Amino acid sequence: MKKVITGNQAVAYGVILSRVEVVSAYPITPQTTIVEELSELIANGRLNTRFLKVESEHSAMAALIGASTVGVRCFTATSSHGLAYMHEMLHWASGARLPIVMVNVNRAIGPPWNIWSDQSDSLSQRDTGWIQLYCENNQEVLDTILQAYRIAEIVRLPVMVVLDAFVLSHTSEPVDIPSMEEVDRFLPPFCPSYPFEPEEPKAYSVITTPEYFFEFRYKIQKAMEEVSEVSRKVEDEFYVHFKRRYGAIERYGGEKADLLLLTSGTVTSTSRLVVKKLIEQGINVAGVKIKRFRPFPAKEISEAIKGAEKLAVIDRNLSPGVGGIFAQELRAALYPGEEKPVIFGFISGLGGRDITPELIEEAIHYALSHSQPEEEILWLGLKK
Amino acid sequence: MIEIRFHGRGGQGAQVASKVLAVAFFHEGYFVQSFPAFGVERRGAPVMAFLRIDREPIHLRVNIYEPDHLVVLDPTLIGAVDLTSGLKPNGWILINSYQPPEAFRGLKGFRIATVDATSIAIRHGLGSRTNPIVNTAILGAFSKITGLVGMDSITLAIREEVPGKKDENVRAAREAYNEVTAEFHSER
Amino acid sequence: MTKRMTFKSVSEMPEIPISMGFMDWNKTGTWRAQRPYYVDKTPPCSASCPVGNDIVSFIQKIAEEDLEGAWRVLREENPLPGVCGRVCFHPCESRCNRSFLDEPVAIHALERFVADDMELRKEKVKREIEKAKEKVAIIGSGPAGLSCAYHLARFHYPVTVFESFSLPGGMLRMGIPPYRLPREVLEREISLIESMGVEIRTGVTLGQNLDWEELKSFSAIFMATGAHLSRALGIPGEKRRGVFQGLEFLKKINSGKKVTLGERIGIIGGGNTAIDVARSVLRLGKKAIILYRRSKEEMPAFEEEISEALEEGVKIRYLVSPIQIHSRNGLKRVECLRMKLGEKDETGRRKPIPIPNSNFFIEVDSLIIAAGEEIEFSFFPKGWERREGILLTQRDGSIGVKGLFAGGDLTSLQRTVAHAIGSGKRAALAIDCYFKGRDSEETLRQILIGEGPSISIFRYLHPDERPMDSHIVRFEELNMDYFEQARRQKESKLPPKVRIKDFREVTSTLPSSLAIEEAGRCFSCGTCNGCETCYVFCPDASILKREGVFLREVDYEFCKGCGICFTECPRGAITLKEEAK
Repeated sequence: MKKVITGNQAVAYGVILSRVEVVSAYPITPQTTIVEELSELIANGRLNTRFLKVESEHSAMAALIGASTVGVRCFTATSSHGLAYMHEMLHWASGARLPIVMVNVNRAIGPPWNIWSDQSDSLSQRDTGWIQLYCENNQEVLDTILQAYRIAEIVRLPVMVVLDAFVLSHTSEPVDIPSMEEVDRFLPPFCPSYPFEPEEPKAYSVITTPEYFFEFRYKIQKAMEEVSEVSRKVEDEFYVHFKRRYGAIERYGGEKADLLLLTSGTVTSTSRLVVKKLIEQGINVAGVKIKRFRPFPAKEISEAIKGAEKLAVIDRNLSPGVGGIFAQELRAALYPGEEKPVIFGFISGLGGRDITPELIEEAIHYALSHSQPEEEILWLGLKK
Repeated sequence: MIEIRFHGRGGQGAQVASKVLAVAFFHEGYFVQSFPAFGVERRGAPVMAFLRIDREPIHLRVNIYEPDHLVVLDPTLIGAVDLTSGLKPNGWILINSYQPPEAFRGLKGFRIATVDATSIAIRHGLGSRTNPIVNTAILGAFSKITGLVGMDSITLAIREEVPGKKDENVRAAREAYNEVTAEFHSER
Repeated sequence: MTKRMTFKSVSEMPEIPISMGFMDWNKTGTWRAQRPYYVDKTPPCSASCPVGNDIVSFIQKIAEEDLEGAWRVLREENPLPGVCGRVCFHPCESRCNRSFLDEPVAIHALERFVADDMELRKEKVKREIEKAKEKVAIIGSGPAGLSCAYHLARFHYPVTVFESFSLPGGMLRMGIPPYRLPREVLEREISLIESMGVEIRTGVTLGQNLDWEELKSFSAIFMATGAHLSRALGIPGEKRRGVFQGLEFLKKINSGKKVTLGERIGIIGGGNTAIDVARSVLRLGKKAIILYRRSKEEMPAFEEEISEALEEGVKIRYLVSPIQIHSRNGLKRVECLRMKLGEKDETGRRKPIPIPNSNFFIEVDSLIIAAGEEIEFSFFPKGWERREGILLTQRDGSIGVKGLFAGGDLTSLQRTVAHAIGSGKRAALAIDCYFKGRDSEETLRQILIGEGPSISIFRYLHPDERPMDSHIVRFEELNMDYFEQARRQKESKLPPKVRIKDFREVTSTLPSSLAIEEAGRCFSCGTCNGCETCYVFCPDASILKREGVFLREVDYEFCKGCGICFTECPRGAITLKEEAK
């Protein structure tokens, strides 16, 4: 059934269709309407789900850690400062290998106080052991939630589904909402690896001495390394049911291109228009959408950029002292390989400033007209 | 692609108007994209909402800077904000006002239409006397003057999207459809 | 799994850090240097209770809303809880550790609450199956006699109580006015004692219609005849008409006899009798003025009694001492000297010293002297040892003559109901020991509460059930992290103007909800109440439960003696001692 819904409503539908049993969250703009929608559905008795009111995001995640430990599929959503407040518990969720799925609506972290789109919140959680998936439109938001539970419950790692503040969260567009029966065929019930049985008490997440701690971390890395393969299989299955596919990355535009534009989130959406326009003008350019940030799809990207001389990366985030985080990860990912294209790292759209087609075009033209970037960080749309 | 910008005040329902209209177009087979001006609005502050429609999937994800048409829920905004900023020549400006379109001759180079959506809303008991909800009525007028979307689709969209007083809202939209008056100002 | 697990490779390890077995291979008990164990210690309330009530236990039962249990606990030590809950001067409350945090627990109100519960009194006492052959005679049916009779009946002895008055109760009936102790309360508690097979013969007076020869058929005799003679002032005029003795006055009005009085009544004295007389006078519609030779500080009457008397309109003139009573046309002129306070005397109170030439007159219509009571010794055989006006006895009540015991006011200068009940208990125990040929002093020592002199009959009857350390718990031994300040519940009282209309009871019983709340204030000093704080805190899970039931036992195989249970215990019920090496 197609409906015109916002990104946040798409999240709520994804959660309902995944038969989530526990939701715990604390309100923060621009995530609030997700939880509003869910709590209303729960209060109206349309969902057989417990909604746990908590006093902070830290507690929200702590509550889910308990719920997930005993084998319950659960969900939370947050943004920005809320995510930062959750930081400690994010480590806990991955360390305990709990397949929790959460949504983060990308929002800048203050000060200056700002409620608009910026990836710095989710990207500063990159080392917490969570899989991170960035969405481009509301359909992808819904579909990614369904896939996230599948992936999480196979590799036993938590997944953060990320969408841009307002540009998706509050924007209504048509979304094909599958039926519960269809989703049930794709997403089986959650079975914990270490079920909680009161008759046979166990201590979870116990202290582990230097003798074994190391090995537990090794296992998390190994699980991360499985994500590519597992995601591919999950997507194949998803395609069978729903005829949609996204991939860890997606290459679009010209078959052979000297210049590739790499973007994530909704910037990709606008970039598609620009790339199409430039190709029509005879410019040899293509685009790469990076959907999965963790684990970073190094192999997939190496494949996709074969033959390109230049890569232009637009980052809607800033790691002060380094620059754009996607660009940084890309450089690290490509270093061992044979392909060594020139990388142009653009920063744009911080704090929700529009990344317009004109700015994207400007970035491409800059990269085309320079053999090397003049600066390590190229500021796109900065008031100079 | 057609881009429409809504002007209103916080609490007046500009965002809902954009959404209802989006659903109406959706029912006619369009791709749609409806969104509010992302901000921190207080009740009564000038606000905007946007609507893009297209026969193709919509990839553009930025604000609307050069709209094709305007819908103005509160005439007092004229002069208070840069209402016609970026508005394409000959675009429609649909204004909620008891005055005839001639009263807005100052907005040169556009097509002006007015409808007394406030009185219509009050007649149908929508909102309160101090805060009438005019967003559904004005969509009936939009259907009539632009001819872009049919009244049946507007009716269906209202029934789907408006949480309460569905019949009253539909009747208000029909009444506005019949009452709206339009005038073309060609001189610039 | 009883041995330590090890993993050789990462593939053997679980996915998550989770316990794979149990730690019971690690017998941490071998590390222990200090051994914690549960032993109840003596709470200060019980230690100071002349009756020897198990206060903490009965309050705990109220808190658990087990009123029947509370009733049973009280009855282990005291057949007169309804009486004590009303008239006892509750030294338990003065010693209550709770007063260091806020206010003492209203123990007397809780005792009365339990005793007044109608449901509990429906309990039918089982007739004893077989009586022992030794019969006991008790002379006097006051609190000492009744207490002794009750406990002897529990020990299966046939008991006969002789009472010279026409109704049983002794001073409880004759001396205490009904507005403090309603007669139905007294009667229901006496009838419960009778229902255990105790025979009370009233109207029998030793030396008149009962002689010592007749008592020879009894194997033991307990003398509890009390102190009934009013002490004379030794001033001219005190034998005049219209001058009454305090106790005589109370006996008359408490037995329904008429006393002809004037309007304005002077009462001489500062003890409970003086206050009882004054308040009774008010209830007869007269005015009462108390003349007392020291100040309020030194008054031996209970403080609450004094303040209730003042509320009701009793006037008290302090530092005045009558030296002569004049009489003219029925009107009494009491010639007094003003006094000042000197050094402390042997009772610890400041001595009154007459101020020379300070003579003045107080005019009253009638005068009642209530300067204390003395013992009538005339019917006692010669040779019974006395000192300072009381009969001398051993701690167990024996007077040195085989089979003869004594108690109550007869043997003590601490003339309170509670002391009398306590002495009756000790005598009952001594009589049991006497019949069984046991060393009563040694037996008594084993069941002392704290340092004594009170004893626990429960522990006498159930020597292994609840051992108790004689150590009296100090406030510093409690853990105040577990207690918050909470208001003490007060029993409601009639307004003074209503009270003095007749002899109706002034104070009412706490309602159940407030009583349960008040019971919750008890620290339960030194007594484990099963709060399970130790269970929660023990890092080695060595505090044992079986099928969910808390056992008050430590698993010494794993207890490593860290002492956290001891430190955390809110009430000092756990003891830590050096492990014997």
